[in-house]
Parts: sequence; structure tokens; C-alpha cells
Amino acid sequence: MAKYIIKRIFYSILVLLLVSMLIYGLVRLLPNDYVETKLFPMLNQGTVSEEDITRMKELYGIADNSFGGIVKGYFGWLGNALKGDLGISFKYSEPVSVVIGRSMWVSFIIAVLAYILVYLIAIPLGIKSAVKQYSVLDYSVTTFTMIGISLPGFFLATALIKIFAVDLGWFPQQGLEDATTLNEGFDRFLDQVYHCVLPMATLVILSVGGTMRHTRTNTLEVLNADYIRTARAKGLSEKAVVYKHVFRNTMIPMVTMMAGVLPSLFGGAMILENVFALPGIGKLAYDALVVGDIPFIMGYEMFLAILTVIGTLLSDIAYVLVDPRIKLGK
Amino acid sequence: MNDKTVLQQIEEGYKDVGHKDSHYISAKEGRIIARANSRIVSRLEKNKKRKADESEYVTEMRDPNNIVEFDDLHTYFFTDSGVVKSVDGVSFEIPQGSVVGVVGESGCGKSVTSLSLMQLVQAPQGQIVAGSIRFRTEDFLYGEDGKPIPLYEYVRDEDGNPMLDEQGNPTVLTRPVLDKKGNPKRDKNGDPIVEKVQATDADGFPAFRRVSKTYDVAKMPASQMRKIRGKEIAMIFQEPMTSLNPVFTVGNQMDEVVLLHVPGATRESAKARSIEMLRLVGIAEGELVYKKYPHELSGGMRQRVMIAMALSCNPRLIIADEPTTALDVTIQAQILELLKSVREKINGSIMLITHDLGVIAGMADYVVVMYAGRIVEKGTVEDIFDRPLHPYTVGLQKSKPVVNQKTDWLYSIPGQVPNPIDMPDYCYFKDRCQSCVAACNGEYPPLVKVSDTHYVACYLANGAKESDK
Repeated sequence: MAKYIIKRIFYSILVLLLVSMLIYGLVRLLPNDYVETKLFPMLNQGTVSEEDITRMKELYGIADNSFGGIVKGYFGWLGNALKGDLGISFKYSEPVSVVIGRSMWVSFIIAVLAYILVYLIAIPLGIKSAVKQYSVLDYSVTTFTMIGISLPGFFLATALIKIFAVDLGWFPQQGLEDATTLNEGFDRFLDQVYHCVLPMATLVILSVGGTMRHTRTNTLEVLNADYIRTARAKGLSEKAVVYKHVFRNTMIPMVTMMAGVLPSLFGGAMILENVFALPGIGKLAYDALVVGDIPFIMGYEMFLAILTVIGTLLSDIAYVLVDPRIKLGK
Repeated sequence: MNDKTVLQQIEEGYKDVGHKDSHYISAKEGRIIARANSRIVSRLEKNKKRKADESEYVTEMRDPNNIVEFDDLHTYFFTDSGVVKSVDGVSFEIPQGSVVGVVGESGCGKSVTSLSLMQLVQAPQGQIVAGSIRFRTEDFLYGEDGKPIPLYEYVRDEDGNPMLDEQGNPTVLTRPVLDKKGNPKRDKNGDPIVEKVQATDADGFPAFRRVSKTYDVAKMPASQMRKIRGKEIAMIFQEPMTSLNPVFTVGNQMDEVVLLHVPGATRESAKARSIEMLRLVGIAEGELVYKKYPHELSGGMRQRVMIAMALSCNPRLIIADEPTTALDVTIQAQILELLKSVREKINGSIMLITHDLGVIAGMADYVVVMYAGRIVEKGTVEDIFDRPLHPYTVGLQKSKPVVNQKTDWLYSIPGQVPNPIDMPDYCYFKDRCQSCVAACNGEYPPLVKVSDTHYVACYLANGAKESDK
């Protein structure tokens, strides 16, 4: 097992290296240029000259867009990154790691609470509707979750804001904190949670459907298995059959989903955070992408890549825990 | 509550569906079927979930020597294309201590008959719609508190007879209650607290008072049925590879049955019992197998584990549903030997379902031959093998390979089992039968008695001559 994990970590490093090459190349090929976007109005007014802009570009390390220049830029970035220095964000004028470290927690708290809610709702509902297949409960649950899956996130978010924030006034429309009052300590925290209710609700509605349907399908498959008939033939109650024999087997494919959860926990929801104007990592990354903030985009993308790699490794290990037939060897 | 019987309701519900000539179902007929299905199924499901008083399903055996009596059993499947009459009026009995073999091709209703006895037919589509299955149990006698009444050890004199107290009742043996350190516990007066010593049965489990009762399984609510499953009737399935839960150890799955059905069983006693059962089925390293997961065992080993699991509560009836079909021939023989020896040890009965006549000849005392949901012939093993009367039984025997007999082709019955939806009212075997007579065009032949043990449903046995075609 330890050998397997070490091997996997080694592979992961290789994957990350390739990913970073690809992302760096793509980011450099983007048509938006941080210096030009920023200095364009001044150039029009005549306060800076073309020469100044070229000098500035060189200063930022984005002057040479030839293949050689990109390769050189990549190795420069890689060298610093290996030393633990992700560079200084163009847009936020702070070290990238500091910005990520600060803004990630906003996204994390929203996502963590949302995911806990999603699992608490989706798994029991999925099992219930599988056990009572084709019942009224099954049909209504599948219909509602299907609506949830089909709705685009930005639309649902806007609709919720319109109904619950603008019309009913129950929740704030945007932001993480109330700007009109100065809250300290616990009050401040409560205020932040209050602001997060709508974004969280949006996330839950959007992702409950997928998890629920996943659970339902798995449960249905397991319910038809021979060993479930054996369990019934033993005289076990329907409850024991479902929650002992079915549940454990349903969980096996569910573990695959864990791999995807980790990056979305920390990675933020780019569009939702924009709609709700939350200063989470998703919104920051979006803004950085718009202006061509190369160090921040690189840092953010690598952060997601590392989380994805860790997520898959964790789910592989989790497989061993839930399914005795799987052994991690060699 | 509906006054009509379920059979009447079925008759009425589908009378407008007339696809006698073709298997095409119009949209309208589809709707009629769906509506009738949901109405009948919900009525039957409600019936299974009801809280019933015991008097509703306690009956009497027709013959006290039997352990099971199937009486005109009808088990139907309500599918989108109509009612599939999987078991259609089946009656036979399993005498105490005997092996009854049920034979027939695939799709004849053998397994559904046995699943009906366990109330394990795939619900909600599959339902017992009529008839009764009487099963004689040795249930615990429950006291007013709902717990089984224990049997106690008595103080005995030198001859082993219970000593009587002044009233003439036997004196119950008592022992002091010990605390964790092994010292006797005392009440506040300083007297040691005593408890009655409960008797143990032959398996070392606490003994309880028992009472013989006959239940009608077809009428029992599901909650009551669970007390019989696994304890009084145990089942061994066809596919040992998939019949054990892959995520729990063998021990865990075996202990579960004991913990569920034996009052007063602890984890330790359940484990001891499971390992003992594993030994009984010929697994030498019981402790080792106990800790293993099913995927670590071979098919034959898994089937042994299934049998051990079935035996662990001393069932009075074991249903073996094609127990050897999935195993290779050498293991087959071992498993059958094992079943035979096990039956002698527990003095129970076996209902053996198979399509292998060789297995039946070696194991069974009585044979029931089923075809398309009905019994075509039943009798003792000698009746069926030496004096088969129904052309189907004869065909089955001819299609069995025989050692020392040189033939170019192995005989096979022409055609296949008919579509079980909307069966015509004449002998179902008519279209495949090679000795049809004029009478066969008439209604379905009744089951006639040939001798005290031998019954057959065929016009040929009923006096019709093969010559009057």
C-alpha cells in the first residue's frame, strides 16, 4: 500500500508538470495582455509612449511571445514555483499564494456546508426513491432533481436573488458582509453566514440532483443483486437489508465522486461568486483571467490541478476501505 | 375492502384485453393492463403490510405428517404485457423428513413456487394471488410480555428426576449472580442475589418453550413471515458466486442469522455456532474461512458456506434452488452428498429444485414434475422413474444422457415452453407432444389419481387411447 502511494505520488508529479506546461502555453497564447489593457487609455492620452509599453512588458516578462520566449518564460516560472514562489499577482500586487490562501476560505466554507447539505439530502432521498421505485415519492423526487440539474447556475442564482432578496427581502443581494454596519467577532461571522445562504442554496439545488440520481441508480442495481435476496431469505427486516446490505454496496461507486469533490471544495464557483459578488477564489480567478494576470492564473490552475490529483489518490485509497475486493498492490 | 376475490378481480380487470391471436398490444389495451395491474398489486401489497391477528393465518395441516402443503397455489406476475401465470394452481405436499424434488424446464415455475413459500417473489410485480401454503412450525411460545418463555433447569435427585417442592412442582435450579470480579452480588440485606438457570438445547443455546403451529404462508403479513425465514425455512440459491454479499466477511454474514433468530445469542456464541456449522459442511479450517471475504473462496466453498448459513438455525425445511447448477461436476457430487448427510443430521426436509433428473434420482423421495406453471405429474421417485405416464416426463427422461448407451443424438423435446401470457385452455404441452389424441383439444386435463402416490394430468392416462387420433 505504501509502495503504491509513493508510486502514485511520483506519477502525480509528472502529471502536474505536464499540466503546468499546457496551462502556461495556453495562458500565454491568450489575446489579452495585462500591460496593454492597463496602459491603453494612457497611450491614447499620450502620457505613455509605445516604448514605455514595451519596457513595461519586458519588466512583467511577457514581451517575447515567440515560442522561445514562452519556453523561457515557462522555465522561469517553474524555477520559482519549485522554490515555492508563485510570483506576484499583476492585478492584486501581492504574492499569489497569499491571495489564494486568503480568498480560498470564503469559497471553502460555502462549498463545505453546501456539500454536507447535498449529501445529507441526496443520499437518503436516492435510497428512498430506489426502494420505492415508481411510487409517487420516486416520481416527484426525480422530477424536482431533474429540474435542478437542468437549470443553469447563473439563471437560478439570479432568480433566487430576484425572489428572496429583491422581492421578499429575506436575504442580502450580494457580497459577504453588510457594509453599512461594523460587526466584530461572532456577529461578523453570523453576518457572513447570512450572506452565504443564497449562494449555498443555489449550489445545493444545482448539485443535489446529480448525487441523488447517482445514489438511486446504484441502489436499484444493488437491490436486484442475488445477495440481497439471500439477506431477505435470512429473515432480516427490510430496514436491515437496505441500510446494511444495500448501503455498503451502494457506497462503492459513490467513492468515485469523491475525486471530483475536493477541487470544487477549495476551487470556488467562478460564475456563482460573480453573480453574488463574493470575494471568493472563483471571482478573483475570473477577474485575473479577464485582465491576463498570468502569475495568478497559473497559481490558481495549479492549485486546482494539485487538488484534483490528491482527490483521485484519496478516492483510490477510499476504495480499499469500502470494497474488500480491491487491494492496492505493486 | 373489496368483496371480490383477487382471481375474480383479475378476470374482470383484463377482460377487455384481447390479444389472443397476436402478441401486439394496442395503446388502449396497454392502458387497461397498466390500470388493472396497479389496482390489483396495490391491493395485494396492502394486504402484505397489514397488521394481522394471528388467527387470520393460523390453520390446520390436512395431514399432520406433512411439513408443507401447497394447496391450489397461484402466483402471478403483473407485467406490462399482461398477467404471467407463473404458478397456476399447484398442489403438493412435503412430508416431514423427506426430500421432494421439483423438476421441469427453465420457466416452468419451479423457483417461483419455492419463492412463494418464502414470500420472496419479486414484489411488487410478483404476487401470490390465491391458494394457500400451509407450513407447520415449532415456534417459540411467547409470554404476555411478548418475549419467548424460557425453559429452566430443575434440581434433580440421584436418578435424574426433578425434585418436587411442597406443592408438587419441580424446583427450578438457581445460581448466584456474579459481578465482574466473580464474586456473588448481594442485595441490600446482604443476601446473595440468585437467578434461575435456563436450560440449553442440543446446540448449547438457551432453551425456550415451543409450540407446534401451522401457518398459512400465503396469508401471512410480511412482518410475521420474517420470523420464519432463515429460522424455520432456509434457502440455498443457485449462484454461489453472487449469493453472498461481497463487502462483508463470511463470519459476519453467518452470525447475522444466529443473532437474528436465536434469543439470547451473543456475538461469541454466534461465532462459535458459525464455525461449528462450517465444520459440519466439511470446511476443516472453519476459523480461517470465518474471517474471509466471499471473493477469497471458490464456488464450491461458497456453496458450502451458503449451506452452513442455511443450517445455523436448525431449519425444519431447506429449499435448495438448483444448488449445483453453477458448480462443476465433481463439486456437484460433493455438495449433493453434503445435503444428504445434513438432512440426516438435522432431521429436516428438503425441497430440491432442479432440472437434472440424475440429481433427483439420487436424492429425492418424491418428485413433482412441473410444466408451464402447473403440475403435470407427481409421485414417489419410483413412480416417476419406473412408471412415467405423462409424455413430458417421458421426454425429460429420454433427454438425459445414459452411460453405456450408444446413440448418435441425445433426445430433446421439440419446441419450447409456451408464452405464459394468455394460455389457451387445453393441455399446455399439446403443441410439443408426440402422442396427442383427440381429447387433447378439449379443456386442460385434470390431475387424476393413478395410485395412492401417483398423480398425472394427461388424457392418455385417463383412458384415452393413442389410437383415436
